[in-house]
Amino acid sequence: MTAVATSSRLLPRRRIAVPAKWRNPVGIAGAVIVLAVVFTALFGHLLWTIDPNSPIYDRLQPPSWAHPMGTDDLGRDTMARIIHGAQVSLQVGAVAIGISLTLGLVIGLVSAFYRGPVDLVLMRCVDVVFAFPYLLLALLVVGLLGPSRVHAMMAIGIVFAPQFARVIRASVLEVMGQPYIESSRSLGANDLRVMARHVLPNVLAPVIVLTTVYFSQAILAEATLSFLGLGTQPPEAAWGNMLATARGFVDSNAWMSVFPGLAIMITVLGFNFLGDGLRDILDPRLGGDIADAVTKA
Amino acid sequence: MTRFVAQRTTALIATLFAVSVIIFMAVRLLPGNILDLFFAGDNTATPAQMHAAEVQLGLTGSYPSQYWRWISHAFQGDLGHSLLSQQPVSDIMAKALPIDIQLVIMALFMALVIGIPLGVLSAVKRDKGVDYFSRISAMIGISMPSFFIATLLLIFTSQVLHWVPPLSYVSIFQHPVTNLEEFILPAISIAVFTLALVMRLVRTTMLEVMNLDYVRTARAKGVPRRNVLTRHALRNALIPVVTVAGFEVGTIIIGAAIVEVIFGLPGVGFQILHGIFQRDYPVVEAAALIIAATFVVVSFLVDIAYGFLDPRITVT
Repeated sequence: MTAVATSSRLLPRRRIAVPAKWRNPVGIAGAVIVLAVVFTALFGHLLWTIDPNSPIYDRLQPPSWAHPMGTDDLGRDTMARIIHGAQVSLQVGAVAIGISLTLGLVIGLVSAFYRGPVDLVLMRCVDVVFAFPYLLLALLVVGLLGPSRVHAMMAIGIVFAPQFARVIRASVLEVMGQPYIESSRSLGANDLRVMARHVLPNVLAPVIVLTTVYFSQAILAEATLSFLGLGTQPPEAAWGNMLATARGFVDSNAWMSVFPGLAIMITVLGFNFLGDGLRDILDPRLGGDIADAVTKA
Repeated sequence: MTRFVAQRTTALIATLFAVSVIIFMAVRLLPGNILDLFFAGDNTATPAQMHAAEVQLGLTGSYPSQYWRWISHAFQGDLGHSLLSQQPVSDIMAKALPIDIQLVIMALFMALVIGIPLGVLSAVKRDKGVDYFSRISAMIGISMPSFFIATLLLIFTSQVLHWVPPLSYVSIFQHPVTNLEEFILPAISIAVFTLALVMRLVRTTMLEVMNLDYVRTARAKGVPRRNVLTRHALRNALIPVVTVAGFEVGTIIIGAAIVEVIFGLPGVGFQILHGIFQRDYPVVEAAALIIAATFVVVSFLVDIAYGFLDPRITVT
C-alpha cells in the first residue's frame, strides 16, 4: 500500500490531459469567490440602492430584513458600505498591482536581457527594497506623503515591485537560454522583437500566478493602512476604516466589526485560492509553500 | 564555511548601510519640509529660531555630513530628541523594545509549538479529515488580517467570557500575571498568520521528505515509525521552517504595530505610527531604523544558521 503511494509520488507531478488539469476544486472555489466580489463591486450598488453615506437610519442596528448587515454608529447602512468597500478594494488591488507589474516587468526584463552591470545594479536596488518588511516601507511612504488612498496605492505598488522583478527576471533568464531565442536572433530579430514576440509570451504563466497572489496581498495591505487611518479616509467607506470605526462599538454592536472583517477575509481567501489553483495549472515549478512563505514575508 | 560567513557579513554591512540611507533620504526628500511642519502656521519665527531648530533636527550641512552625524550618533546610542516630548528618542525606544521582544517571542513560540505538530499530523494523515481541516484552517488563517482576529478575540472575551484585558502596559518583571493577561490576545492575533504558514510549510516538506530514500531505508531496517518521523523526517523538514521563522520575525515586529495600537501597548510599531501622525520625525527615523535593522540582521542569522544546518548551501 505504501509502496504504491510512494512510487506515484516519485513521478513528477505533471498532468497532461487538459480536462483533468483544470479540475482543480481549490482554484474553482477561488474563481467563484473572486467573480462574486467583482460582481458585487460592479453591480452591487445597482441592486442595493441605499446610499452608503446617508446617515438616516436608526443607529447601531443588528442585522434585520431592512438592513441585512445592520447599521453603523452614524446610522448608515452597513451593506451599502460593504458594497462600496468592494469597489475600493478592487480598485486599490488593480492600481497597486498594475504599478508593481509595470515596474517589475521593466526591471526584470531589462535585468535579464542585458545582464552584466545593468543587472547587478538593478538587482542590488531590488535587494535593498527587499531588506525592508514591506509594511514598514508602505507605512513610511504613506506616512511621509500624507494619508490618502492614492498614496496608499502608490506605496503598495512600490513595495511589491521587487518581488515581481525577481520572479520575472528569473523566468526571463530561463527563457533566454532556449534555442528559439538564438534562432530568432540569427534570423535578424532585434532586442525589442525578441522581447515582445518570444520572451514575454513565455513568462506569462508565472506573472499571472504572481499577480493573483499579490492582488490579495494588496487588498490586505490597503485594509491595514486604512485601518490605521493612512489609507482611504472617512467618511468614504473602505473595509479597513469600517473596522477601525467599529472598534469603538464592540460592546454596543459587534456586528459592525464582523461584516467588514469577513469581507476582507473572504476576498483575500478567494484570491489566494485562485492563485493556488492557477499555480497548479499554469506553473507547477513555482512550487507550493516555500515560494508562498517567501512571497508573504 | 569561513568564506560563506565572510561573504554574508559583507552583504549584511552593505545592506544595513543602504537601508539606513533609504530611511534617511525618505524623511528628507519626501514632500512636506520638516521645518515648515515644525513651525506650522507660526509666521513669527525669527531666522535665529529657524536656525536653532535646524541644528536641533540635524538639518544643517550637506546630506552626506547630515547622514554621517545621524548614523555616528545612532551608533553611540544617541538617536536625537522627540519633537513632541523633547525626551531622548533612545529612552523612548528602550522602553518600547521589551514589548516587541516579548510579543515576538510569544507569537513565534505559539506558532511553532502548534504549527509544527499540526503540519506533521496533516502530512501523516494525508487526505484524511484532520488534513483537510488543518489545511482549510491554515488557508483561512493566512487570509485573516491580524486586526480582525484581534477584534474577534475582544468580542469573544468581552461578550462570552465577560473579561477585558488590562489596557495599560505593565512590565513582565513587575506584574507577571497582569502582563501575560495583557499580552495573550495580541500575541494570538499575530501568531495566527505565522502558525498557518508554518503548518503548511511543515506539511509540504514532510510529505517530500517522507518519500526520500533514507526515510524508506530507515523504515526497512526496522526503525519504529515514530522514530523515523521525529529523527529522520522531521529533522530535515524543519530546515525550511528556520528560514520562514526568521523571516517572520520582521513581519511580526511590524505586524505588531497594528495590534499594539488596538491593545494600547506602546511598542516600537506603536511609536512609529504615533510618530507618523504627530510628524515626530526623529522618532519615525529611529523606529524605522530599529525595525529594518532587526529584520536585516535576523535574515543574516537565518542565512548563517541555514549554512550550518544544510552544508549544501555554502557550496553554491
